[in-house]
Amino acid sequence: MSGRAYDLVHRTTYEYAQPVTDSYGRTTLTPRDLPDQRLLATSLTIDPEPADTGRHVDWFGNTTTYFGVTRPHTRLVVTARSTLEVSRAAPARADLPDTGWRAVARGVTGADLGVLHTDAAGVVALREAVLPSAHVTFVDEVRDWAAPSFADERPLADVVTDLLHRIRTELTYRSGSTTVSTTQAQLLAQGAGVCQDFAHLMIAALRVHGVPARYASGYIETRPRPGRPKLRGADASHAWVSVWLPGHGWLEADPTNDQLVDDRYVVLGWGRDYHDVPPLRGVIFTEGGGATPRVEVDLVPAGSEPFA
Amino acid sequence: MTDLLSSPRPLGDGTIAHRPDWTWLPPGAAPTDADLTRAARQAEQLLAGHGVTYGAEAVDGDRHWRLDPLPVVVDEPEWARLEAALVQRAELLDAVLHDLYGPRRLLDDRILPPSTVLAHPGFLRAVDGLRLPGGRELVLTATDLVRDASGGWCVVADRTQAPSGAGYAMEDRRVTAQVLAPVYRQASIARLGPFFHALRKALREVAPPTAGDEPRAVLLSPGPASETAFDQAYLASMLGLPLVEGSDLVVRAGRLYLQGIDGLEPVDVVLRRVDGEWCDPLDLRAGSRLGVPGLVHAVRQGTVSVVNPLGTSVLENPALLGYLPRLARAVLDQDLTLPSAPTWWCGEERALRHVLARLDRLVVKPVVHGPSTTTVLGWRLTTAEREQLAARITAEPWRWVGQELVGPDVEPADAGPRAAVMRAFAVAHAGSYTVMSGGLARVADDHVVSSSAVGALAKDVWVLASQPTAPVGALREDADAGVGRAGAYGISPRAAENLYWMGRYAERAEDGVRVLRAVADRWDDYHRTPDSAGGQALAVLLEALTPAALPDGGEPVSVHPDTEHIGPRVPALRDLLLDQRTPGSVARAVRRLAAAAATVRDQLSTDTFGPLARIERTLRDERARVRVRQQAGDVLDVGPVPPGSVTAGLRPTLDRVLESLLAISGIAAEGLTRDVGWHLLDAGRRLERAQRLVAVLRAALVEHRPADVEELLLESVLLASESAITYRRRHQSRTDVARVLDLLVHDRTNPRSLAFTLDRLHADLESVPAPRSAAQRDHLLQGVAELVAELDTVVVGNEVSDDGRRVRLADALESILWRLREASDEIERVHFVRPTPSRALDDLWGSTYGEPSEGGAL
Repeated sequence: MSGRAYDLVHRTTYEYAQPVTDSYGRTTLTPRDLPDQRLLATSLTIDPEPADTGRHVDWFGNTTTYFGVTRPHTRLVVTARSTLEVSRAAPARADLPDTGWRAVARGVTGADLGVLHTDAAGVVALREAVLPSAHVTFVDEVRDWAAPSFADERPLADVVTDLLHRIRTELTYRSGSTTVSTTQAQLLAQGAGVCQDFAHLMIAALRVHGVPARYASGYIETRPRPGRPKLRGADASHAWVSVWLPGHGWLEADPTNDQLVDDRYVVLGWGRDYHDVPPLRGVIFTEGGGATPRVEVDLVPAGSEPFA
Repeated sequence: MTDLLSSPRPLGDGTIAHRPDWTWLPPGAAPTDADLTRAARQAEQLLAGHGVTYGAEAVDGDRHWRLDPLPVVVDEPEWARLEAALVQRAELLDAVLHDLYGPRRLLDDRILPPSTVLAHPGFLRAVDGLRLPGGRELVLTATDLVRDASGGWCVVADRTQAPSGAGYAMEDRRVTAQVLAPVYRQASIARLGPFFHALRKALREVAPPTAGDEPRAVLLSPGPASETAFDQAYLASMLGLPLVEGSDLVVRAGRLYLQGIDGLEPVDVVLRRVDGEWCDPLDLRAGSRLGVPGLVHAVRQGTVSVVNPLGTSVLENPALLGYLPRLARAVLDQDLTLPSAPTWWCGEERALRHVLARLDRLVVKPVVHGPSTTTVLGWRLTTAEREQLAARITAEPWRWVGQELVGPDVEPADAGPRAAVMRAFAVAHAGSYTVMSGGLARVADDHVVSSSAVGALAKDVWVLASQPTAPVGALREDADAGVGRAGAYGISPRAAENLYWMGRYAERAEDGVRVLRAVADRWDDYHRTPDSAGGQALAVLLEALTPAALPDGGEPVSVHPDTEHIGPRVPALRDLLLDQRTPGSVARAVRRLAAAAATVRDQLSTDTFGPLARIERTLRDERARVRVRQQAGDVLDVGPVPPGSVTAGLRPTLDRVLESLLAISGIAAEGLTRDVGWHLLDAGRRLERAQRLVAVLRAALVEHRPADVEELLLESVLLASESAITYRRRHQSRTDVARVLDLLVHDRTNPRSLAFTLDRLHADLESVPAPRSAAQRDHLLQGVAELVAELDTVVVGNEVSDDGRRVRLADALESILWRLREASDEIERVHFVRPTPSRALDDLWGSTYGEPSEGGAL
C-alpha cells in the first residue's frame, strides 16, 4: 500500500537561567510502526550527550527511551527525527459496524469474545480501557454532559461521531487555557481547552458508559492558508481518542477537528491518558528553577528541505 | 486478661478458653500476676531505654512502643502446620506475581478478574516484564492472622509491599526474654535469629550477576519521620546494612550508587522500605522525594536488585483474598491450606449486591487506602452514612471489598483485649521460604486491630520447640554468606552530617548544663546582696553566660513591687533548661541531639538511646511539675517569679541531665569503633567545645573588674569549664586571670583546654576523607592554632586599657572565634555537600498542541 511519505522533526528545548547538574528523562517520541504507518527511519538525539540511554517497548506497546545527562548544562535539547509512510484512510460510516454502544459495554463486562471481536489478551486491554486513570475521572459532570449522546441502542459509531461534533462545537480551543492538572469538570465549566483536554473529555464520556477508550499521542500535518507559505517548525503535537469498535478495531477519532484520523496524522503511541505517553518527561537537579520548554515540530513531505 | 492468639484450649462444652495457659511449664513455674505486673513495668522502662518508638514525631507525645510481656504461646504441632501453610501461601503469591508481570494467564474472569489488578495503583506497568535474579519475585512477605471462632488461623491481610515489624518482633523478644527471664529460661522456645540469617542470605541470592562475590546492599528508608523508623533502623543494624534515604542514592550510567562522603560507591541490592510507587520520580510517581530517578532503568539494566521488587504491593489488594483458593488450584494444583477472612470484591456484580445488602455487618475496605478512603466498620455507621458509602461503592465498585469480621468469641465477662492479630514473616531462601519462628502480635480493646494501631499493645510470640532449633554451630558456619555493606565507608554525607551535629548538640547540651549549674550556684548565694562582690559577679555572669535567660531591656528592674528592692534582673534560668523555644536552651539542644541521633540510629550503639530517653523524660517530668505548681497558684498573682524560687528544683534536674549526657559521651568514647562516623561525631563535639569556651572567656574576662569580683567570676568560669578541681589542686593562691587562661587555653593535659580540643579536632579531621579541597578549612584551623600558641596569658591577662578592658585578650579571642566559625562552615562545605534539589521537567501540556484547522477542512 503506498501512502504519503513524511519527514518528521520534533525538537524540545529547555534553557535554564542556572546550571542543571543532572537531567533524567524519558521520551515517547518514536512513532509506532503500524500496517498503515510504516516507520522507515528514526533517531533520537539529546544534547548534551547523555552518559546513559536505554530503549524498550512499554506496557502499551510504545517505544520509549530513557536518558541520563550527568554533566552540568544550561540547555537541554531533545530532537526526534523520523521518516514515515502513512497510508491510513478514515473509514466511511457505511463501512463501520452498527453495534450498539450498550452491547459493547455489556460485552466488556461479560468478556463476550464474540461480541467484542477479540481474544483473552484483548479483553484485558479493553477492561483497562474502561477504568478511570490519572487524568480521566468518573464524575457526574461528565456523565450529565455525555448523556444526550448515549441514546439507547444507538450504534457506537454514531455515538463517536456525535461526541466529536459536540466537542468541536460546544467547546472552544484556546491555547494556554488549561494545565496538566485541569479536570474534565473544570474544562466543562470554562468551556475552553486544548486538544488533550478534548481527548480526555471524550475518553471519560465513553468510559463512564462502559465503552473502551484510550488516548493517542501524535502529530497532525498543518497546511497554510491558501497563498501563504508553510511555516517550518510550526506543525503540532496532537492528541486524540481511540475507541474500540468491535468488528472494526480501534477507531481513531479527533474531537479537536471533528473528524476521523487519516493519512495526515502520525501516531506516536497510545496510553490510558496523557500521563502514560507524554512525549517527554523528566527530573532535573538544580539549585535554580525550571524552564518553559520551546517545542518545534516539522511534519513535511519526505525530501523537503531539511528543517534546521 | 484475655489471651486470643495462643494455641486454643477447648473447654468441655465446645467453647475455647481465652485465658492464659501455663500448663506447658513445669509445675510452679508459671508467673504470678505480681510477676507480670512487675514485668510490664520493666518492659516499659527497657523499651523507653532502647528508644523504641512507633508513629510520627511528636514533642512530649507518647510514641513509645508498648509491650505486654504476656506472650502468645503456640505449640509445636500447630506451628508446624501453620508454617507449612504460610510457605504454601508465599509460593502461591510468588507465582501470581510472576504471572501478573509476565504472561498474565491468570487475568481471566474464571480465575482472577483482570480489574482487580488493572485498577490497583500498586500494579506498576513501568516494571512489567522485569525479573529478579534467583527465581523469586516475592522475597519478603508478611501475613496478618487472627483466630476464628473455632480457634483456627485465618488471614486478614497479606503484606507484600515492604513488610514492617520484623525488627519490632526481635526487640519484643529481647525485652520479653529479659523481663520474663525465669519463665523464658525454663521453656524451649524457637529462636528468631534463623529468620534474619535467611534474610541476609536471601539478599545475596537475588544480587545481580554484576555484583561480584560480595554484593553490597543498603536499606532504603523513607526517613526518620516514618512511623516505623525504629523498625527500619533496627533491621538495618541487625543485617549490617547502611540505612539510606533516596537522596543518598544516584543512578549513573545504568548503575545505582551510594553518594558516600568520599565519592560514589556502587550498590547491588536495595532492601526497600519505601513503597514501590515512590521509588522513582521519573518512571513511577512524579515528584516523589523518597526515591531515585532512574532506579527503574537501573533495574531494567539488571545492575541492581530491589527487594521486594517494585510492584509487589498489587498483592496487598484485599480483593485477592477471595480468589486465592481458585488461584491455588490453578497455579499450584493444590487446595489453599490457610483460609482468609471471607471477602467480596465489589467489582463483580453478585459480590456487589451481597456487600450492599450486608453493609451493616461487614468491614468495608478500599482496595487501596487513600486520604479519603479507609477501612470502615459497617455496623458503626448511621443510616445516612451507610447510604453515602453505598453510593460511593456503586459508583466505582472495583475500588471496594466487603469483608466479614473474623475473631474469637470472647465471653463478655473476660477482661482484656477483644481483638488480636499476629503478623508472621517469611523470606524466600534456598528454593523455599523460611518462616520466622515467632512473629509480631498486637492486641487492642477495639474489635479490629488496625495497622496504625493507636493504643495497641505488642506481644512476643513463643513457638514451643521440643528441641533447640538450628544448632549454633550450623549458624556460624555460613555466617559470612550474607551481603556486605555498600561502600568502603558505608556512610552518606547526610549521615555524616547528622553525626557531626550530634556531637555538637551533645556538647552544647552538656556545656549548657554546666553553665547553668555555675550560674545557679551564684544566684542562690548572692541574689539578695546585689551590691556585694558576689552580687556584682552574679550580674556579670548572668549577662555573660546566660543572656537568653534575661528579660529584654538590660536595665535592672524591681523584682518585687512591694519592697522596691532593686537587684539583678530575675533570670528565667529554668527556661534555659526546660524550654525548647528558648534559644540556646538545654532542652532545645537535647531535642536536636535526639533528632540527629534518630537519623543515624544504625550507626550508634542502642545503649545511646537509654540515656537520651532519660534526659527527655527528666525534662518532661520537670516541665510537668513546673506547670502543676504554676497552676496551683504557687507563683501566680505575685507578678514576677520570686527570686528565691528561680533555682528551685533546678539543681537535681541539672544533675540528672548531666549524668545521662556523660553516659552518652562515655558510650561514644568507649562503645563506638573509630570509623569515619565516630571521627565526625568527635569533631562536632570538639569544635562546639572550642567555640563555647572562647565565647565564655570573651564574655567573662575581657572586662577588667575589682579583684574580689573577678575572683568569683573566674571560679565560675572554671566550674563551667569543668576545670575548677584541677585549678585548685595546682594553685593554692587566689585565682588569677593569667593562670586560669593558662589552664583553659594552653594546657594540653587538660581535656577541656583549647589546645587539647584543637589537637583532637585536627586529628579527627585528618581521619575523614575530604572529597573537596580542605585547604581553607585547614588554613583557618592553623590560624587558630597559631593564635592560641602566641597568646601570652600573663601579658593579655594583665594588660588593661584605659577603658578597663583587656584589649589584646579581646582581639585574640575575637580572631579565634571568627576563625572557628568560618572553619565550621568550611567543614560543612567540604564534607557534607547536600544533594542538589530536584524538580520535574516542565511538562509539555498545550505547548504547541494542534489548533483546530480552519473550519475543519484541512
